[in-house]
Amino acid sequence: MFGTYFYHEIIRKTVISFGTVFNDIHVRHQDNTGKDLVDTKVPIAYGPRQKFLARIQQQPDLNKAIAISLPRMSFEMTSVTYDPSRKSGITQTFKAKDGKKFKKVFMPVPYNLGFQLNILTKLQDDSLQILEQILPFFQPGYTLTVDLVNSIGEKRDIPLILNGISYSDDYEGNFDTRRALIYTLDFTAKSYMFGPIADTTDGLIRKVQVDYYSDTDTRTANREMRYRVESTAKKDYNDDQVIDAADNMLIEPGDDFGFTETREFFGDSKEYSPTRKIDI
Amino acid sequence: MALNPFFLQGAQSEQRLTQDLINEHLRMFGVEVTYIPRKFIGTDDVWNEVESSKFDDNFSIEAYVNTYEGYSGAGDVLTKFGMNIRDEVDLTISKERFEDFIAPFMAGLDDGTDDSEMVLTSRPREGDLIYFPLGQRLFEVKFVEHEDPFYQLGKNYVYQLKCELFELEDEVIDTSIEAIDTQVKDEGYITTLKLVGLGRTAIATASIGSGYVEEIFLNNDGSGFTSAPTITFSDSPANDTTRAIGIMTTRANVTSIEKILVLNAGSGYVTPPTISFSGGGGTGAAATCSIGSGYNGVVRVNVIDGGVGYGTAPTVTISAPGNGVQATGISSVGPSGQNRIVKFVYVDNPGKGYTSTPTVTIADPESMVGVGTYQYNETIKGSRSGTTATVRSWDGDTKILLVTNVGIGSTVAGFFSGEEIVGQTSGAAYATASYNSDDANDKYSDGDEFEFQADQIIDFTESNPFGVV
Repeated sequence: MFGTYFYHEIIRKTVISFGTVFNDIHVRHQDNTGKDLVDTKVPIAYGPRQKFLARIQQQPDLNKAIAISLPRMSFEMTSVTYDPSRKSGITQTFKAKDGKKFKKVFMPVPYNLGFQLNILTKLQDDSLQILEQILPFFQPGYTLTVDLVNSIGEKRDIPLILNGISYSDDYEGNFDTRRALIYTLDFTAKSYMFGPIADTTDGLIRKVQVDYYSDTDTRTANREMRYRVESTAKKDYNDDQVIDAADNMLIEPGDDFGFTETREFFGDSKEYSPTRKIDI
Repeated sequence: MALNPFFLQGAQSEQRLTQDLINEHLRMFGVEVTYIPRKFIGTDDVWNEVESSKFDDNFSIEAYVNTYEGYSGAGDVLTKFGMNIRDEVDLTISKERFEDFIAPFMAGLDDGTDDSEMVLTSRPREGDLIYFPLGQRLFEVKFVEHEDPFYQLGKNYVYQLKCELFELEDEVIDTSIEAIDTQVKDEGYITTLKLVGLGRTAIATASIGSGYVEEIFLNNDGSGFTSAPTITFSDSPANDTTRAIGIMTTRANVTSIEKILVLNAGSGYVTPPTISFSGGGGTGAAATCSIGSGYNGVVRVNVIDGGVGYGTAPTVTISAPGNGVQATGISSVGPSGQNRIVKFVYVDNPGKGYTSTPTVTIADPESMVGVGTYQYNETIKGSRSGTTATVRSWDGDTKILLVTNVGIGSTVAGFFSGEEIVGQTSGAAYATASYNSDDANDKYSDGDEFEFQADQIIDFTESNPFGVV
């Protein structure tokens, strides 16, 4: 029924935008005198992945000497929900430009994408260093401007809302289990879903013409004046070394062009026929 | 009720026999593992955590693998944080062997010669490492069981070490056993230093002339600039107009002109040219100048060859005139591909009284020729930044040095371009062409990929009105 293929990669772009916000977080360690010893950039990745790829990429040598390197962050999309609070008219459209052509775009549908950012560290102090580099920027939101549909350059503000933070520290119990220190931050990205981008017959208005009459009854009244405005080329489109009327027809939306105003005065009772393009 | 005195609960000779039999058994059927004690470098007494550790000693000891059918634990699992290998192993070691051959030496390790600390050296310790050679794995001791078997003949003879695979952060593993140390060669946060081995001295010549701008007086440094303004001098009658640039400074959030550097002092002026400022977003800047006529000065310095390997601006020496004032120049360096070259030499003082073209001498770059071979696990240090790091690998052909545990130098984490990187053990020394703090090895991290792709779609043109993010 829907039938028109389109894929704007909006969810993918939202995931990339989310990931890049947290891709430069560092952790530092000091010695007992307080001197900074080591600065470590905390790696981040999108958690879900193909299992075989994870195995052959992250464990190329089967005899891997260690369990895992820490600290690490991972995130994943956890939900996609409609956001009725941002609803707009479903039949409303706006015009956009795809290169030189006008496109008709239906208003996007507001969807909230839930994200979960997880922080795994060996030390509580590492967790807190990471956390303190994140939290001040979320009050509780941080807004990114993302080019969601790049074919029409549709940039939208996507607020990332920090909904809550939880953590688990399994330090109690016997010594058979590891201490796992995981912070979990839940976010909502207020994104938009765009439908297919349709061609439109709308184009550049090249000529506007208005006839003025001395009375409202144009059958009996005299025609007094004609006012005409035409778009005028500013460059030689057809490379014939002159800029003339032939170039005017080649102006495209988005070009830099001028206007020519023409006024004609009459004393007749004729009317302009748009189909025959003459006065009759 | 007292025990029956006619039945011994374990004579010392029986206990010694049992211990000997156990030792013999372990030496026949055990595996020779390496016990690696942990030294504390940094501890946090609030969170009760050891922040930084190093493992730089090793003790061989025979151990019996309790679980002959393989490692215990959850095995290799895919977690939301990537591959996590949760292998565990239980090892039995001789109590006597440990106490005789490891504990005394461990006690001697904390001799106060460095900043590390050894605590509790009389028994195997939780947190120490065991290198298991069969699987080439580093296990961390998570629990030491000393009462299993339970007081046979009135004494305990073994320790059972419950071990799990080590989780690496930035711990230093430098046991001097290559088979162990290189196990973490590709693990952790590893960054890349691109070095240049060969420096080349820059070459420049001077041009002299008369009627040149001798001194510039910055009467008003202006304010409110967002970028350096264009500085224009009125035309010279000899068609050799002065060219100069402004060096900006910001104090109390007000950006103004700090000084004016002359690229070309011009020639042929008979009256001092007027100086005008345009662009840069600021207002109020004003300057006048004096000219030197009737005698020759150095009007410009032409860089013929920018050289290679300049991390800092080298000194420029212009030879003195026979009788007059010696000219001085200021060099400016910039990147060119992977090398650092001298881009410009500004005329700081044109001098006066030159009768012939003086010679210009530009100082050598910090490192003319790279020497030596960096060693695995040695510490390197940046000559200017003071930053230290640990070598992971060195490719002498491509001059790529992979390092980990990059410290915080004099200003920020990382290394300056052009500074000398000296191996503290090998003595190897090369100049830095560039430092890339992206992780060179981690197959888990996607941060760089996110950043690359986000650059295509995120619009950063709208700045944050509340400040820099």
